[in-house]
Amino acid sequence: MPDTVSININGVAHDVEAGQRLIVAAESVGEVIPRFCHHDKLEPVGKCRMCLVEVEGPRGKVLMPSCTLLVSDGMVVDTESAVVKKAQEGVLEFLLINHPLDCPICDKGGECPLQDQTMQWGPGESRFVEAKRNFEKPIPVSDVVLLDRERCVLCDRCVRAADDIAGDPLLTFIDRGNHVQIQTFPNEPFSSYFSGNTVQLCPVGALTSVDYRFKARPWDLGHTRSVSFVDTVHSSVDAQTSRGKLVRVYGIENDRVNEGWLSDKDRFIFSAVHSPDRVTAPLVRGDDGFEEASWSDAMALVASRLGGYLGGEVGAIGGANNTNEEAYTLAKFMRSVVGSSNLDAQLGDGLNPHLAATVTPRATIDDLDRAATIFVWGPDLKETLPVLYLRVRKAVRNGATLVVASPAGTGLDAIAAHVVRYRAGSGSDVLRKFASGDKGYEGAREALDAGPVVGLVGRSSLAEDPMMAEAAAGVVRSLPDSKLLTLLTRANIYGALDMGLAPNLLPGRVSTADDEHAEMLEDAWGHLPRGTGRSTTQMLEDLASGAMRAMVLVGADPVRDCPDPGLAQRALEAAEFVVAFDAFVTDSSIHADVILPAAVWGEVSGTATNLEGRVQEVNASVRPAGQARSLNAALDDIAHLMGVDLRAAKVADVTREIAAVAPAYAGITPDHLTFESDGDGVIVPLEGEQPLKFIPVEVSVPVVTSRLTLHFPDALYDDGVWNRNAPTIAGLARQAEARLHPRDASMLPVHEGDIVSIEERFVMPVTLDDTVPVGSIVVPRNVVGTKGLTASTSVKVEAVEGGA
Amino acid sequence: MTAAANWEAGRRERAKTMLGAYPDRRSAIMPLLYLASLEYGHVTEQAMTDVAELVGVTPAQVQSVASFYTMFKREEVGKYLVSVCTSISCHLLGGDAVIDAVEDATGVERGRTGDDGTFSVERAECIGACGGAPAVQVNYETVEGLTPDKAKALVKWLADSQPEVVLADEMQQLFGGVRSFDWGPLESEGPVAAVPAFGPFGSAKEGR
Amino acid sequence: MTDRILTVRMEAHPSDSHTIDRYVKTGGYKALRKALKKMKPEAVAAEVNASNIRGRGGAGFPMGVKWGFLGAAEPRYLVVNCDESEPGTFNDRQLVERDPHQLLEGIAISSYALGISRAFIYVRGEYARGARRLQRAIDEAKEAGYLGEDILSSGFSLDVTIHLGGGAYICGEETALLNSLEGRRGEPRLKPPFPAIAGLYAKPTIVNNVESISNVPWITLNGGLAYADIGPDRSAGTKMLSISGHINKPGNHEIVMGMTWRELIYDIGGGIRDGNELKAWIPGGASSPWFVPDKHLDTRVELDEVGANGSMIGAGAVVVMDETTNVVAAAHSIVRFFAHESCGQCTPCREGTSWMEDILARIMDGRGRPEDIDLLMDVSDNISPGLSWPPAMTTICPLGPSATAPVASIVRYFRDEIEAMMPNKEAANA
Ligand SMILES: Cc1cc2nc3c(=O)[nH]c(=O)nc-3n(C[C@H](O)[C@H](O)[C@H](O)COP(=O)(O)O)c2cc1C
Ligand code: SF4
Ligand code: FES
Repeated sequence: MPDTVSININGVAHDVEAGQRLIVAAESVGEVIPRFCHHDKLEPVGKCRMCLVEVEGPRGKVLMPSCTLLVSDGMVVDTESAVVKKAQEGVLEFLLINHPLDCPICDKGGECPLQDQTMQWGPGESRFVEAKRNFEKPIPVSDVVLLDRERCVLCDRCVRAADDIAGDPLLTFIDRGNHVQIQTFPNEPFSSYFSGNTVQLCPVGALTSVDYRFKARPWDLGHTRSVSFVDTVHSSVDAQTSRGKLVRVYGIENDRVNEGWLSDKDRFIFSAVHSPDRVTAPLVRGDDGFEEASWSDAMALVASRLGGYLGGEVGAIGGANNTNEEAYTLAKFMRSVVGSSNLDAQLGDGLNPHLAATVTPRATIDDLDRAATIFVWGPDLKETLPVLYLRVRKAVRNGATLVVASPAGTGLDAIAAHVVRYRAGSGSDVLRKFASGDKGYEGAREALDAGPVVGLVGRSSLAEDPMMAEAAAGVVRSLPDSKLLTLLTRANIYGALDMGLAPNLLPGRVSTADDEHAEMLEDAWGHLPRGTGRSTTQMLEDLASGAMRAMVLVGADPVRDCPDPGLAQRALEAAEFVVAFDAFVTDSSIHADVILPAAVWGEVSGTATNLEGRVQEVNASVRPAGQARSLNAALDDIAHLMGVDLRAAKVADVTREIAAVAPAYAGITPDHLTFESDGDGVIVPLEGEQPLKFIPVEVSVPVVTSRLTLHFPDALYDDGVWNRNAPTIAGLARQAEARLHPRDASMLPVHEGDIVSIEERFVMPVTLDDTVPVGSIVVPRNVVGTKGLTASTSVKVEAVEGGA
Repeated sequence: MTAAANWEAGRRERAKTMLGAYPDRRSAIMPLLYLASLEYGHVTEQAMTDVAELVGVTPAQVQSVASFYTMFKREEVGKYLVSVCTSISCHLLGGDAVIDAVEDATGVERGRTGDDGTFSVERAECIGACGGAPAVQVNYETVEGLTPDKAKALVKWLADSQPEVVLADEMQQLFGGVRSFDWGPLESEGPVAAVPAFGPFGSAKEGR
Repeated sequence: MTDRILTVRMEAHPSDSHTIDRYVKTGGYKALRKALKKMKPEAVAAEVNASNIRGRGGAGFPMGVKWGFLGAAEPRYLVVNCDESEPGTFNDRQLVERDPHQLLEGIAISSYALGISRAFIYVRGEYARGARRLQRAIDEAKEAGYLGEDILSSGFSLDVTIHLGGGAYICGEETALLNSLEGRRGEPRLKPPFPAIAGLYAKPTIVNNVESISNVPWITLNGGLAYADIGPDRSAGTKMLSISGHINKPGNHEIVMGMTWRELIYDIGGGIRDGNELKAWIPGGASSPWFVPDKHLDTRVELDEVGANGSMIGAGAVVVMDETTNVVAAAHSIVRFFAHESCGQCTPCREGTSWMEDILARIMDGRGRPEDIDLLMDVSDNISPGLSWPPAMTTICPLGPSATAPVASIVRYFRDEIEAMMPNKEAANA
């Protein structure tokens, strides 16, 4: 129970939470004070002066900005006095004298605080007869954001968001007095992963996004609350539509998760939903490649082919981009209809499903706010889980100590108290030193001993052994006051694992070894093969060798995303039958015999589970493209053709079934999500801890000396099918580059900008980077020019003659 | 490697001293901007980029600071920067006529630099010489008690003799009048001083 | 009775008062020796407190009280404010150019009293000459053992660094100054926290004016009570006034407060130039409301009395205007100054000052409208509600409200002259 103080506003006494700013406290009791610079999530600056109120002081009433003033017991406030009104009108008039009156063509028109407050508090007419300030019309401050300086009211929100929140001080004030303006440095754009937040924060139409400009007017927008599927944070979003199309995505202040912030990828990827390259009708391979077919013909083909194999001969890969309901239906279909336990939502790029799904004690995202120490062992959060990166930044800003261990520089290094650098592959060694507080690691060790600790553990790159994350988790668990979050990154992968899309898990985070539960499930499903199935890597190997014969691909692209793309390619080529549920023809689905057009994020409803185990609603805001359908509906039909009723046609039925048979999800009904969680979702299980035990492992990966050790981390803007199909950010996709320590470069020898070849096949320019450990090479994985590179521990690197 | 590594050797040394002179490197931004404008003639984009690298902030942050202050000139400045005060005391005693005279004599409008790069003229706000109003500064060296005619003579003298180092005492003796206070003895060393980072634009010798 | 403290040496030794030789020969650094050898730090602070000296930088806040607020966190800093940019002031300039060691000794003693080992002097960039003299003095003092490590073998060490401003009046405001010293834009900070608790690099910091600190050696040598004895109770000590404008003897005059303005202007200042009539004067620099002969000539030059009359002594700049003065042009010069120097973060200051500048310029151009006078007053009122004294503010710092002082003054005392500048209606309609 927070402390309260008693304040008096306009003659009425209120008890409000102590330690708050007056403007926030007043709003909590229904007294809304106008404002421009104030924003709940930004440090107060008190610059716009719109929020002035009168506060009783020892020398009578004094005008004070309510956005900077902390409430104190006995405070007497007047928000409506003549003096206050006059001051507010004055500020509005001052803001308007240089503001262009171009509301009719301004993107913000209709949802503009300046417009609204002028109506409510502003002066009637203009007394300004001088010349207005004039600026060149919109200038791009980045690839995605435009700036109209004339409209700017200099509230400092964007600058604070860029600097304090995102840590990218690239957008700043320049000049002084009446000449102050927002600017970037020449040729150094505001290329922040979080630039789009400024568009949403701007209280006028000064910052607008390139892709929304003139697209729609606020009053004809449809709004749907959902969560972003770009990564496993599941930021709450308001998906906005106009005439049946998504036109804009805004962040929603879900304080447990994203606090209103989004990455630009969260914000701008939606346009891929309307890509002309979508698969909009079933495609069946004929003599001359794919031919369009009807759903009933395509499904009949799939049903008959799948029905013709023994369960173990078929496998399913994917499901991480789907809702929980779709994932559950897939798991149920594979296990109870096809009779196979070969199913995996991870592509060999993840973690042991046991660790990911059942880690305990599991932290929540907002545990970061309470942590004394945060320990990151895993991927670069800025590239892979950007909003989690913001949460860590915030925690550090508020005093948490950050320890980062990684095989190369990460976005968090700049604010870390301790950066532990290890050569890719030699992590276990470092981890051991670290755990025992060896020389050179005392500081980091000391930080770890100061709890509460939140450990964020994952796999720093595809080239790293997943067991390393387990070992790191083991270190964290050995600390007395510690919690863990694992760092899988793909969309709804946690939901997929929870729904049993793993060879060793049944829905509800139950091990396949749990016979009692398996029996219960068999009753519910009618059929359930026992034992552990095959993982993605095993399935690909078995397909390639002929030990398995058919494959169901669900929104998965193993040829791009699994550690050994060559194996994936061989496997899919060798398979007798491949059916792909996909929205696009990808490097993998191109090998399918049948492609069924999948409805995607924005077109499907259901629930999803993020990396902390939070279940939130996912809501459709547009109709599926063409004939695309949700996975659960399609599988329900196919199962019928195979003689089984999956009861999966209606999403709500599936949600209810999950709540009934998946232990961790007990009680998670649609009603519960709507009414009990304010839409902010709930953590599963609702009560209690996971019973499963987890044993830390010691691993040691051999250090290869003759070649360079590969660190192969993911980049935010990748060359994946979604990024490519979202025009706003497609151009931002990273190009391949090889980062080398200057010492290794001089051995080759190569210089900055020279070209090297990797494994004699992949050529890319060199960037010198002394954060890369000697003996390592860092290559971004999923970018333009690395397609097909195997994530092996070591690679052959050579200078290319006549390169640069 | 930073671009500042190419700075003239003495300046590189001074830059190091400045970075070490404060508990926080960021404090060195202003002194470094002075130094960088000696290197490049004014605060160029390259100058700001160099300072950003030296201090460890973004060029945008350096630009934000540099543009706040009137003495960090982001455009080319002449060999002689003539700043004419027209704040209240100078205004009352004819500062506006003095700036007209300076524009006349230099052929350079206020806020501009002449084509030949000899003069820049600007209106200055109070330069702390009100007791000797109206006053001007040439490269931040003060002359007090001017009249429009004396100001013209000063300009002509600068143009003709093109002194490499501008000395307040010399200008005051030749063209000045009433002073704010007794300045004391002539400055023997002129504007060469140990003040970290300071060196006026254009002509004066650098401090160590 | 002592009637001058700060300017005695420079007057007696015009040729070398700024050198360490002369300084030491005339009793300099004795106070430092006394403090370090014979006094505990608290005892030094107690003398300053007993002196009743009020800050000379403008706000007139009692120096001893401010020192008492200094937070305990380490490290702590002393920052000396030599940004002197208020139109009309030039006394700090004289103090640093002509007697820099007096300031340095004051800094050393103050730092000792406050447990500070790092001091900064923020010198406005345009004071190149003063900065040079100060730097030379610092070098001399270090050489002689009055600054640096283990001063006078007392175990007390002090490092003094000069930081040059870049041409921005607002950096005289103490929190803007701290931002500037941190390598940021010179924008005033929100208070609280006050610098004494969280100042430079968020550490406890005392900011004092050059003149304030220059008095510390004398106070240390002669005792706080001796200082308190000089002049009226609440305006103790001497004050350097910069007198300029239409006056016969412009310059800095160190006076004991308590005399009347008549005495100051006609006796000390030698009267109005050319035998002209006095029209108005600004008692405390461009940001203070004006005084006029009718009302104020026989009031006294004392901090509180000037305050009671709706203005301030501020940093001590008296600007005298004779009958020939075009008051609109004079006000315009001042308002233009503030518009130019506004940091731009508060809406009312950023927009209001330049709006007023535009209106005044229009009136001077003969394009005034009758309603402009009310408009000027209303814009002023929106920056400083009620236009009362001390000024209420809709802004973060007092710069914005300062710009209303000349406007309200000319409307109050010279409305007819403004109206006379408006084009007459028939002519406008023709
Ligand atoms: C706009 C503005 C400008 C100021 N300029 C100066 C200045 O140039 N010098 C100065 O000492 N104080 C100046 N001050 C006052 C300082 O904020 C601060 O009060 C003073 O330096 C404290 O020193 P003192 O207590 O010794 O007077 C200014 C204040 C404001 C609001
Ligand atoms: S009043 Fe003016 S100078 Fe002071 S903080 Fe506000 S904008 Fe800046
Ligand atoms: S909202 Fe308080 S000053 Fe802007």
